[in-house]
Amino acid sequence: MSHATRLKAPMGLLIDRTKPVSFKFDGKSYQGFQGDSIASALAGCGRWLLSRSFKYHRPRGPLTMAGQDANTLIQLNKEPNVLADRELVANGLDVQGQNYNGSLDGDRDAILGHFSRFMPVGFYYRSFFKPLGAWDKWEGFIRKKAGLGVLDLDFQPEYYDKAYLFHDVVVVGSGPAGLSAALKAANAGASVLLVEEQPILGGSLTYNRFDVEGEQADQLREDLLASVEQHANIEVLTSAACNGWFADNYLPVIQGKRMYKVRAKECIVASGSFEQHVVFRNNDLPGIMMSSAATRLMKHYAVKPGNRAVVLTGNDDGYLTALELLDQGIEVAAVVDMRNAAESDAIASAVKARGVEVLTGHTVYEAIPTRGNKHVRAVDVRRITAKGEVASQSQRFDCDLLCMSAGYMPVYQLLCQAGGQLKYDDTAAEFSLSKLPKNLRIAGSVNGVHGLSEVLHDGERAAIEALHTLGLANGEVAVEVNCKRRVNFDWPIFSHPKGKDFVDYDEDLQAKDIVNATRLGYRDVQLVKRFSTVGMGPSQGRHSALPTARLVADATDRTVTETGVTTARPPFSPEKLAHVAGRIFDPYRRTAMHHRHKELGAKMMPAGNWQRPAFYGKPEERDACMHAEAEHVRNKVGVIDVSTLGGIELRGPDAAEFMNRIYTFAFLKQPVGKTRYAVLTNEHGVVIDDGVSCRLADEHFYVTATTSGVERVYREMMKWNAQWRLDVDITNVTSAFAAVNLAGPDSRKVLEKLATDIDLSPEGFPYLAYREGHVAGIPARLLRVGFVGELGYEIHVPSRFGEALWDVLQEAGKEFDIRPFGVETQRLLRLEKGHIIVSQDTDGMSHPGELSLEWAISRKKPFFVGRRSVDIVMAQPQTRKLVGFTLPKGTKKPEEGHLVLSSSDSSADITGNVTSCEYSPSVGSIIGLAYVGIKQIEVGSQFPIRVDGGDVVQATVVDLPFFDPDNARQAL
Amino acid sequence: MSAITPESFSKRSFVYRQLSDAEFSEVAGAAQAADMKNGHSQALKAGILDLSVLPRTGFRGLNAASHLQAADLPVPAKPNQASVTDNGELVLRLSQKEFWVLGAVADLGAGVDAVNQRGLPEKDCYALYNQDSHAWLTLTGAHLPAIMAKVCGVDLRAEAFPVGSIAQTPAARINVVVVHHQINEIPCFSMLCDSAAAEYLWVSLLDAMAEFGGEVIGSNALS
Amino acid sequence: MKIMPCPLNGPRNISEFVHGGEVRDMPNPTTCSDKEWAEYVFYSDNQAGVVTEWWLHAASGYWFIAERHTVTDEIIRTYDPSEIFKARVEFSAESTAQEVSA
Repeated sequence: MSHATRLKAPMGLLIDRTKPVSFKFDGKSYQGFQGDSIASALAGCGRWLLSRSFKYHRPRGPLTMAGQDANTLIQLNKEPNVLADRELVANGLDVQGQNYNGSLDGDRDAILGHFSRFMPVGFYYRSFFKPLGAWDKWEGFIRKKAGLGVLDLDFQPEYYDKAYLFHDVVVVGSGPAGLSAALKAANAGASVLLVEEQPILGGSLTYNRFDVEGEQADQLREDLLASVEQHANIEVLTSAACNGWFADNYLPVIQGKRMYKVRAKECIVASGSFEQHVVFRNNDLPGIMMSSAATRLMKHYAVKPGNRAVVLTGNDDGYLTALELLDQGIEVAAVVDMRNAAESDAIASAVKARGVEVLTGHTVYEAIPTRGNKHVRAVDVRRITAKGEVASQSQRFDCDLLCMSAGYMPVYQLLCQAGGQLKYDDTAAEFSLSKLPKNLRIAGSVNGVHGLSEVLHDGERAAIEALHTLGLANGEVAVEVNCKRRVNFDWPIFSHPKGKDFVDYDEDLQAKDIVNATRLGYRDVQLVKRFSTVGMGPSQGRHSALPTARLVADATDRTVTETGVTTARPPFSPEKLAHVAGRIFDPYRRTAMHHRHKELGAKMMPAGNWQRPAFYGKPEERDACMHAEAEHVRNKVGVIDVSTLGGIELRGPDAAEFMNRIYTFAFLKQPVGKTRYAVLTNEHGVVIDDGVSCRLADEHFYVTATTSGVERVYREMMKWNAQWRLDVDITNVTSAFAAVNLAGPDSRKVLEKLATDIDLSPEGFPYLAYREGHVAGIPARLLRVGFVGELGYEIHVPSRFGEALWDVLQEAGKEFDIRPFGVETQRLLRLEKGHIIVSQDTDGMSHPGELSLEWAISRKKPFFVGRRSVDIVMAQPQTRKLVGFTLPKGTKKPEEGHLVLSSSDSSADITGNVTSCEYSPSVGSIIGLAYVGIKQIEVGSQFPIRVDGGDVVQATVVDLPFFDPDNARQAL
Repeated sequence: MSAITPESFSKRSFVYRQLSDAEFSEVAGAAQAADMKNGHSQALKAGILDLSVLPRTGFRGLNAASHLQAADLPVPAKPNQASVTDNGELVLRLSQKEFWVLGAVADLGAGVDAVNQRGLPEKDCYALYNQDSHAWLTLTGAHLPAIMAKVCGVDLRAEAFPVGSIAQTPAARINVVVVHHQINEIPCFSMLCDSAAAEYLWVSLLDAMAEFGGEVIGSNALS
Repeated sequence: MKIMPCPLNGPRNISEFVHGGEVRDMPNPTTCSDKEWAEYVFYSDNQAGVVTEWWLHAASGYWFIAERHTVTDEIIRTYDPSEIFKARVEFSAESTAQEVSA
């Protein structure tokens, strides 16, 4: 087992040295401490090689130590592509490397690097795009080589969820800018949410050195945290990633297994900036890392990043890094400054005073690897002679650590999602953000402010601006902060004739790959991205966007502002599908009788968000159950739960006038105590719903609607009356009533036992009448309906009585052998009667003429919704019509949607389609409804239907209904 | 087992099957869960309670407000506000001209029955069907905004949603009316939802409450 | 997610609302030409600028009107429909004497 040797406190902010942790990496045991990331624990044991690169399988090690690069992607048992510099070590954790052939240390695919000149940028695209079919041959091989990580197919889902968080101000990032902004806002009385990606607050204060003495950051952080952590108005989320910005400050923040949906009146993004690498040959070797990665290793984890370092820098921060390294006992061979002079003489002198060689106007031209490219061994340093060019004389420094800092790129992703625009300042060689939406502000280094005291002021400035819109500013005026510090070197790109000068580590893209893309005509940075894949890897251009913009601008003679960066889209960092999919709400509705159906063994089916019994019995016995239930209704008595049927009440002096305007039929003179069929067309003249209108009183209608259509019908009614201003009250009473249809020759006998206060005689309660009374003491509305074509009663009761109604009907019906039937059976029964179901037998074009519903349209009234369109359409030659058809028993049964053809020729046109089709035991043949061409409607004629497998069957057009043509049974 | 079961009445709560451990008592001709294994302390911590059988009523129309005033009920000044009577009834104003009256736990909803006995004004006041169209579920305890934040996108923290506030909004993706009130100083969010979705909401709320130690309570836990 | 200020319920997530199309004047359905009617039913101006739209707050069943800029998606104003629709609408009456009364 490898053991950790660590630096002394106060190094190691994140680790608890009293709690050692053992884990495995690539089969070997390692030890770290609680609080260590996998990468820091491994580095503490001298293990630097963490992964192999995507394309060339080059060894890679820690680059940012902040979860910002793809070098640290590793495999856990249950999860691929985990960031080793984010994921904490735990006892017994079994970690594997990814993307290698053989072993991580001896990857046989590393040979691919030698073929890189045969795999130029766009290689896959260009090689396999043509000829047609080439991709099919190569796909398997390429996929095997290309994928990252292994999925655990036995993975058990875990509980992920979501919650809203509401605050006046959300501050993204808890560096000095974020902390000062949060404090300022909270002190003024705003409720503040502070979101930090790292496990501790402080941002750069936790690792960066701001002064020669190295004291400022710690002291400041201590002071700020003491105020923030105690503050009643500040809620803190650490280890939490703000992964997007959506309109009106709606921010998804992922912490652990929860996604917070944060809604804030004001948003201050103090997301800081990403330190940028220098492009030179072999800049990807393990041991070469951002300056901030080296200081993070020391300050966060007390890990020595190396023994002998070279610092390559384009700003003064590199000097401070050198001082930090020296303080921790690391030899610094040289500070290589790409600029001609340091900005601060004091800082440069302090480094020189420690005996470190400082070379200004120089760069690292090439890093020299150990065998197999496993680690940096030395660097070749040369004088910069011109933009991107170096002298031929070289100096070599042996080292096992190279810290680099070419400057910074604002963490712009959230802000560009919000519509912010990036502008490149040629003098500062830096991108800045503008055109942010109101109520979104930026502070600190993301705002181009870098000096520590300026950063603190900038945080306060942003907070004061936010407080103004919140009305909490108390007259305080926000003062613009001016920071003169330059942190970016303008051309930290040193192409090497032998390549391996990486611009994008994730995708193994070298400087020449980007330039070549522009030479092939891909001038737009978006096209360069798609062609070369730059920025498409897990780090999403955090380090490649800036050098790519510079290279493309240079190669195409444009400014960097004109070139820009590719579009930033959420999520900012990779998120699991579980975070998006976790605890999704999928509402269901149950009728009052739901549990009775389950107890009776119903096969349930969804109808919208309702659950309804399809039939009672085993799923595999569908047809037998359905036919038995149907025969029972035809011969005895059945009962079906129709509670899901929509119900709308219209009350008031204008109720009848309103009905008359909404539905196609005439309702002004509908008698009280009678029902009437109600068809609804939309303004296009298309049939969109139907139901039964009951007139309870002169000014009181109760109208049913389809299960799936009622919500829309109700909304449309409300909208129409917002315009018409009729004196009518409209209420959706769907859930207020439970209902059954008691149907069959014996239904009257059952009801007679229960409804003693209603005259149930055929004369007293005839077909299509409406009555009110009591059923076993339950107040009920009764409708004599004929949907299934038998003597029948719809019984509507207040829904809290629904289950009791079901129970008393079952009990009273026992002596008549009552049996429940389901929706599928009902569909068969109504099909036998030729009754349409709107939305099953209609589509987005069905006008009343096609459905033979002319009888249900009143031409005598001045208006109904859709009237004018119906008139126009009906005056045109018709093209299709819904007809009934039969097929002999035993014929291959057409399904809904099967096509009706103009003839049996192979070149026949499609003239229509089947909408309903079942075998009917009562009729003894297959029956159905289908749209057919207008020339195919003659009763007795045949038309072809193409069924499964391409077979064609010949259906015969018949008169409707199929069963009981005189409709005698329902009128009994 | 208590002698009273939900199925001994023809009126039944929409969620009575979720209350199998309850001791029931008769309320308005139906069974209401009076006691569960968790009592008053659970109500203070995090409780969920089914009040669906407790009487409630509603009126809509230009004369609805005056109808309530005639019944001596306090009419809230603005939509989405609730007032409470001395007896404990809640009067909800859902729009300019729509009002709901929710019965008091203390008198088993007798006050609402009295309102329903009164004749409606001749015009412009229509009785609503909220006893049947809606279920009445009440969350209680110290974590109401945090529990609701897991199912609802409206800020229900006390600063934004003080006692007497109403929100008509989706919760767990179904439409609800949420009322912030107190019963015997216990913080309550009463929720009125589509009665057909009551079991769904019940299960969703129990799931959301789990991390706060939420449990089912009976009406006696409120006193 | 965008916030919609509802005249009845205050600012809410726009997912609580249902879009109801532009507010448009219906031509007189008995006197307008087929073309006018077809344009009313099928055509949309789809203009870049401020449009007046119907929106429904689903949870409270409340229809209102919003003025929205289709380019910036800014919601400029929302209000009750009674601001526009002030009076009862009548349709020109024809004879209803022969209406069936079955």
